[in-house]
Amino acid sequence: MSDQTPIEKIKYGLLKTIDVSGFKVFDPVVRLFFGEEPRKQLGDISRYMIAPIIFVCCCMLFWNFIAPRHKTKSGEVPTPKQVWNALVTNDTLDERENEKESDFQLSDEQREDTIATVTALVAEREKKSEELKAELAEIEAQCKKEQGEALEPLNQALAQLKAENKKLRESRAAESAKISKAIAAKEADPEKLLEYLRNDSEMTLAEKDSEKELKDKIKKIRDEEPKRLKAAQLASSQVANEVQHLKKRLDYLSTGNRSQKVAQAEESATKALGSLSSADSPAAILAAAKSVVKSEQRASKISEQEYPRAATIWFQVWRSLFTVFVGFVLAAAIAIPVGIMCGLNRIAMACLTPIISVFKPVSPVVWLLIFQIIVGAFFPNPDTHPLFVFLNGLPWIGALNVNPALIFSACTVAMCAVWPALVNTALGVSSVEKDHLNVAKVLRLGLWSRLTKIIIPSSLPLVFAGLRISLGVGWMVLIAAEALSSSDGLGKFVWDEYQNGSSHSFANILLACFVIGIIGFFLDRFMIVLQRSVSFDDGAATV
Amino acid sequence: MSSNDRRYVEIANLTKAYPNPFGRDIEVVKDFNMILHKGEIVSVIGHSGCGKSTVLTMVAGLNPISSGSLAVEGREVSGPGPDRAVVFQSPCLLPWMTTLENVMLGVKQVYPHGSKKERKQICEYYLNLVGLGDSMKKYPGEMSGGMQQRVGVARAIALKPQMLLLDEPFGRLDSLTRMDLQDVILDILDREKITTMVITHDVDEAIYMADRICMMTNGPEASVGQILEVPFSRPRVRSDVLDHPNYYDFRFALISFLEKQEHSKEAHDQMIEEKLRQPEPPALVEAKVVADSLPASGASF
Repeated sequence: MSDQTPIEKIKYGLLKTIDVSGFKVFDPVVRLFFGEEPRKQLGDISRYMIAPIIFVCCCMLFWNFIAPRHKTKSGEVPTPKQVWNALVTNDTLDERENEKESDFQLSDEQREDTIATVTALVAEREKKSEELKAELAEIEAQCKKEQGEALEPLNQALAQLKAENKKLRESRAAESAKISKAIAAKEADPEKLLEYLRNDSEMTLAEKDSEKELKDKIKKIRDEEPKRLKAAQLASSQVANEVQHLKKRLDYLSTGNRSQKVAQAEESATKALGSLSSADSPAAILAAAKSVVKSEQRASKISEQEYPRAATIWFQVWRSLFTVFVGFVLAAAIAIPVGIMCGLNRIAMACLTPIISVFKPVSPVVWLLIFQIIVGAFFPNPDTHPLFVFLNGLPWIGALNVNPALIFSACTVAMCAVWPALVNTALGVSSVEKDHLNVAKVLRLGLWSRLTKIIIPSSLPLVFAGLRISLGVGWMVLIAAEALSSSDGLGKFVWDEYQNGSSHSFANILLACFVIGIIGFFLDRFMIVLQRSVSFDDGAATV
Repeated sequence: MSSNDRRYVEIANLTKAYPNPFGRDIEVVKDFNMILHKGEIVSVIGHSGCGKSTVLTMVAGLNPISSGSLAVEGREVSGPGPDRAVVFQSPCLLPWMTTLENVMLGVKQVYPHGSKKERKQICEYYLNLVGLGDSMKKYPGEMSGGMQQRVGVARAIALKPQMLLLDEPFGRLDSLTRMDLQDVILDILDREKITTMVITHDVDEAIYMADRICMMTNGPEASVGQILEVPFSRPRVRSDVLDHPNYYDFRFALISFLEKQEHSKEAHDQMIEEKLRQPEPPALVEAKVVADSLPASGASF
């Protein structure tokens, strides 16, 4: 190993990293880069990289083809492009929240500078907006005209058809009246009238159908929005949106700004102080003093205020990850010790088997409701509860707004994720090689060193395999729990979009589907790396 | 010193019975009688499945006895302990520990008051003894079977045991490695004078290593069939042993005993094979070659 050239060292280091991180697909790329058997590597690349990429592209094309052809209550099924746009839109929303937050916190010169730039930007955008609006109006007029031209003959035809049909109906009514008169005079058979009326209703139906056909045609043309009109509308609304956002920023830079608000409160405090010194009657003095104290309190309260951030998708992602982490840690903290106990002691195993068997198949939804009730009872007043006050005071976690909903979502995750880890840990501990236990017996190792030196290391691979399954289960359960409990996170994002039902909702739901999937994939990969780094069979433990 | 004082292990009417849910208990070993003197090397030979390992695990205390008596140093065996070190057929190293850590595991138990440095020195001494001075940082997965078994031997010897129990320690090794390791162990035993019990089913190995050979009858109800004294001097030199005029007599005695025990066809075939090797045994040729090419292995005693 020591006679490797530096390049070889880099190469094999890189290959090892790829191998450990579970991205073995890139192995031939690295080898090709270092010029090792290019033919073989190219073959491998085309087999294991290009073929899957082509397949995924085919799937996307199929999706793109089939999506617009299925009409639903909430509009067309979004195409890949629309989902991508949804991602961009959500990202923009997040960025705008960032801007507003920093605007809210700015003070002094920086604030004034920003006001200047934003004002200039608003002027520019407004001009653009006006232009686009004019353009839009023009296009609209044009389209309307075109539409009118297209509709004109159809409308005429419809009117004509209606008139004709009316005439026909009237004539048939007259005819039937005539027949019934004849029947009354016993000049005709009643059967004839029935025959005629049956015929009549059929004809009426046919006439109505032809009318309806024409009406549908008209409606379709009326509903149709030309592409250029759509594009113009989109462009105009986008700029209008931006203008609105910039104005909101100005608001946060001026009257809504924290430093401004504080200054205002302080000013009113000094004013009150002034009136206190000039007041003469006891009642006035008391009132003035009260108002001084109030203003001071208000100023200090405002200076601690944070920007009320709207929940964007990235915030939801972080909150979901935090929740699943809490739940997973909770599950591991229960599963590993209990699993070790079960693996070591057959009585413990026998005691826990019925509990595991009964609770394992229970749906996460049921757990959620149970924990909602139980956890809720611990925090009757969550805003002032020391746990939440402490957690929300922490630098990173505080931004995630920890509340009881997060706690019981995490509990639900833990409850559902605990089983695979527990069962695997028990299996790992109980299946330690007998030879290794004999070694421990001969050496007369105590319980503690037997646990730490032999049992735990030898069961670690299985423990981590269980934890990996647990994390997967936890992530899946979490989304459902969040949707049901309205705990902020990706699940709530999906649920809100579903309830919201705007034109972007469906695209946002599909976007969330991909985000959830990709995060789940990386969580799994992370656990594989952990698992491999503790398993000793393939020599990975030496890394 | 009377011979009674030198008794180290006394096995009298030792019986091991396993419960049989559909009948009488199965007595794997019955009325096994044997005495091991201090510093003696005894090999136990017999067909596979005859209960050799059962006897060894009982002496080690890993397996409770059913009846009879089993005393080591005048005391009944009640459980395993570091005074009776065991080397198993598979090396049984803990794969998540380095060679040094594997040996250290036992040393820590035996020298609980020693400093870290002292313990490390002890481990290094015994690892050097088995010729693994440069592999202390290696993991078992990175070593050959022979090297792993050397670590197993070092781990056992480092306990400073009164008795060494070897359960077919060379069973999984190729013949060259096996001879190497036999010499390593004999070398250590000559220095430390540890009472040793070697389980084997290799006739040449039994003769080369032991002072006495205990031949076991076939199980169930296995017991001691014959005991053969091997009067070769120590330290032993392989070529001298092989050239000894009585060597083939011993070998013949062992094989004919084992042949008598044999009833099943499968093992019968094995016997024929053994016979065919008789005129010019290939293992012997190998042994000679090795002895010639590695004169130091014999001369180092």
